[in-house]
Amino acid sequence: MGMDVDIIFKIAGVGIVVAFLHTILDQVGKKEYAQWVTLFGFIYILFMVASIIDDLFEKIKSVFLFQG
Amino acid sequence: MIKIMGAALIIAASTWMGIEASRHFSERPKQLRLLKSALQSLEAEIMYGHTPLHEASRRLSAQLPKPLSVLFADFSARLTNSETTVSAAWRESLEEVWKETALRQGEFEIMKQFGETLGRHDKMSQQKQIQLAISHLQREEGDAFEKQTKYEKMVKSLGFLSGLLLIILLM
Repeated sequence: MGMDVDIIFKIAGVGIVVAFLHTILDQVGKKEYAQWVTLFGFIYILFMVASIIDDLFEKIKSVFLFQG
Repeated sequence: MIKIMGAALIIAASTWMGIEASRHFSERPKQLRLLKSALQSLEAEIMYGHTPLHEASRRLSAQLPKPLSVLFADFSARLTNSETTVSAAWRESLEEVWKETALRQGEFEIMKQFGETLGRHDKMSQQKQIQLAISHLQREEGDAFEKQTKYEKMVKSLGFLSGLLLIILLM
């Protein structure tokens, strides 16, 4: 369970920092960079979440389909 | 333990990079102002003191602070020690010193064109050329000041935040 909490904190940290970066870049008028930064942050977190979901599906398969 | 130390090192390095980059933005208007006042005192030396050029630039180099004093010291040394024209000596010493300063290509062109006219004309048109260079520098200074207010803070916080992001990604 400890690892799960760690990942949630990590996602929150990335979110906060990316939000700050977006605000600062937006303020000085570099809108396109701000959007890129947000997009890359989103993609990174998406990959992280995808790997966790993958773990979950594997576990479900091993429980219900008896294919060990 | 080692992880925390590494994180602190990354934060320190990226923050330092940000501060260094922002120093570049804050140095430029300062140096432009100094360059302007240097040209004004050069004008005074020529108009009222009738000082020869190498003597005048030697005096200027004594008055100015570090990066610009090197320019005038170098120029004066080139004029006294070697057999070049004034514009060639000016250009060479500009190229020599330019990497040390926070100034940009625009100012470099202005100063180079100013050097082409240096020592070619009589007193009155020399004064006009100096005034022209000063007014060009004035324009660049406005631009530099605008850039400073816009980007100085951004670069600083960008350095810190990118360090933070790197730490979170590597954790």
